[in-house]
Amino acid sequence: MRRPLLLLFVPLLGWSQSLQDALKRGEQVFSQSCATGYCHGVKGGPSGAPRLAGRGFNQAHITNVVVSGVAGTGMRSFATVLSKPDLAAVIAYVASLNGVANPRISSGDEEAEAASGSKLTGEAARGAQLFKEAVRSFGRCSTCHEVGGLGISVASPIARVPDSAAALKALATPNVKTGIMNGESMPVLVLSEGKQGTLFYDLTSTPPVERNAEPGAVKFSDGSSWRHASVIGAYNDQELAAILEYLRAVVK
Amino acid sequence: MIIRMRFWLILLTISSAALAQDAGATHADWPHYGGTQFSWRYSALDQINTSNVKALTPAWLFQTGDYAENLQATPIVEAGVMYLITARARVFALDAATGREIWNYRYPEPGRSVPGFVGSRGLAIGDGKVFFGTKDNYMVALDQKTGRLLWKVSVDDVQQCGCNITAAPLVARDKVIVGGSGGDGAHRGYLTAFSTKTGRLAWRWYVIPGPGEKGNETWKGDSWRFGGGAPWLTGSYDPALNLVYWGTGNAAADFYDAERVPTGADKSKDINLYTASVVALDGDTGKLRWYHQEIHDDVWDFDSAYEVLLIDREIRGRMRQTLVHMNKSGLTSVLDRTTGELLKVFSVPEVQNWITGVTEDGKLVGRVEPQLGKTTTLCPTAAGAKSWNSMAYSPRTGFLYVPVNELCTDLTPNNTSPAEGQNYMNGEFPVHLPPGRTTYSHVDAWDPMTGKLAWKVPYKYLLLASMLATAGDLVFTGNPEGEFYALDAKSGNKLWSYQTGAGHRGGAASYAVNGRQYIATSTGWHSSVVGALAQSLFPDQDWRLGSTLVVFALPEGSR
Repeated sequence: MRRPLLLLFVPLLGWSQSLQDALKRGEQVFSQSCATGYCHGVKGGPSGAPRLAGRGFNQAHITNVVVSGVAGTGMRSFATVLSKPDLAAVIAYVASLNGVANPRISSGDEEAEAASGSKLTGEAARGAQLFKEAVRSFGRCSTCHEVGGLGISVASPIARVPDSAAALKALATPNVKTGIMNGESMPVLVLSEGKQGTLFYDLTSTPPVERNAEPGAVKFSDGSSWRHASVIGAYNDQELAAILEYLRAVVK
Repeated sequence: MIIRMRFWLILLTISSAALAQDAGATHADWPHYGGTQFSWRYSALDQINTSNVKALTPAWLFQTGDYAENLQATPIVEAGVMYLITARARVFALDAATGREIWNYRYPEPGRSVPGFVGSRGLAIGDGKVFFGTKDNYMVALDQKTGRLLWKVSVDDVQQCGCNITAAPLVARDKVIVGGSGGDGAHRGYLTAFSTKTGRLAWRWYVIPGPGEKGNETWKGDSWRFGGGAPWLTGSYDPALNLVYWGTGNAAADFYDAERVPTGADKSKDINLYTASVVALDGDTGKLRWYHQEIHDDVWDFDSAYEVLLIDREIRGRMRQTLVHMNKSGLTSVLDRTTGELLKVFSVPEVQNWITGVTEDGKLVGRVEPQLGKTTTLCPTAAGAKSWNSMAYSPRTGFLYVPVNELCTDLTPNNTSPAEGQNYMNGEFPVHLPPGRTTYSHVDAWDPMTGKLAWKVPYKYLLLASMLATAGDLVFTGNPEGEFYALDAKSGNKLWSYQTGAGHRGGAASYAVNGRQYIATSTGWHSSVVGALAQSLFPDQDWRLGSTLVVFALPEGSR
């Protein structure tokens, strides 16, 4: 009696995210990991490596090739290269290129979708863009903050969203301390202290530098001259308001 | 008075030439990716030479154990210690005389999958540290003595930019400079310099100027945001001029230009600056001093990202501080490296139809423009008349030693919209062998100052390993079949070869410990990108993978 029950659960878990979203992610993964450089062409077209679209491949075959690779060719195994959701998404995507009507998805990647802000509208969507905008170089939020899989997680995950741009600038940052190493004083974020040494972020300038000091080589004291306001100067208040709108939409 | 001035001028010229010659050659150490910061890949050691190279034999070898993507790095040697990095950033310090491991450092595998290429072409040393870039886009510094992590810093978000670091960094004074990949995607390339001491940002130079900056007008609309240009290899540095030289990547979209070229632009003038260019940057600030765009409006994926050789030579009767640089098309430029003035340009591949020629002032003649949705057969290809592997230069012969490949492609441009960090080549380009040939590559010796070919040695498959030249008048390189060999630098005659058991895609270096000269080479074919492409052209071949450093010397007691 238990076996049919299990079989029922597997597809239920699998289809918790819409197929369409998974295929969209699959196309992204394909573009980043398969249609790179001199390998497969965009949308499964021919390039350095063979065409994959419209070849009549079934999903089992595609899964086997993606997971195991093809010996003696440039097609490597992607089993440990891609995350499980990405692996499932790209397999489903290639299956869709081969006319498989209803490809199976084992799990979804809601994280990437949240980060892309693709479901957001208005100010929140604009904020999602501003948060990680490449043109701002190291002045963008994602230099230090990871949200939904995008950005570098220097700071702890954002747990509470400030009410206004003014509050964002005046943000209390009790975790930032003052470190003194070789006579130099610097604002720091301590990661770990142990017998192997002390690991900390040096916040003197952006991007923050993860540094590893010999045990006892750096001394910390509470408080620092570092201010959140000094690292968000690449944005004006309107832009900061849009970013806060974005964070309210995605930070749970 | 005039006579006296001439005398001083001559003296000045000779002494600066002698200095430059010395600066370009390595001696007991091999301290930089390209040998020295002048990137000649030339060793002044001559213990191993044309008369005794036949006796060259393996002294030791080192298996890295990292067989995932094989070994592309050029080893670095300083004071009898060799530093080596594998594709997945396992770093080793080895006794350069015996191969005994002194320390190793294993960069943690990124927790999440990362887009882009996996591989490392080398590391850098300086300021008592070992520097390397990673596939998840960090610059990392280790203690050179112990291998202990000192600092690491994120250069960019790999998930967003679709870019990462495969090139060896370049140390210039108190800074370590690194370029990234991603220029075939919707990305805006850059070079980044960090303080060697602290890892703090020193400067960043964007290949593509932003709004309001000179050169931005050479881009249509917003296309500069995703215009590519990633400088994905390693540049050079002239300490006397304090100038950093780097080659930049192709414009994106690679094969379809309508979205990035301003309407009515003159294709004989600069377009999409500073892609497909050689640039000179101030070492302290990263500010652009001069540039030379080799391909205006590149529509063939002809990067200019390759190595930059700094050579002081007489050209047309006048001593000049030059640089020599090859574009992926095989067009090779000689520039005055103080001003960027073009002094000479010539082309190396035999099979070429993308242009009918090039004028003395560098203008392309008879460009073949790929048409949207139509297929055009073009030679050479995006795989390069030369691949990323470096050429070498010997001041004794005055020749460049170049591994040249002869390939064609059936290119069909398409037009898709850019999505940040994702493929933005906009074309399909299956590569094939040109018809009517039995050999598809050759090692060439060119005099760059005259653009004349001295000799060539044809080879039936492709050549994708770097060249090494030595004062013993030898030129070393390896082929995909596993053979590592020495040519006579003057004639091209093959004097010695050794079957290492796996294909060559890395770089060789020469160094000395306690008076004994060694030749070290990375071995192990590479299964992705151009390596896979090359293999697919010769389906009956089975070029072996691997990841082993092989070191040769003359037998003990034979010297």
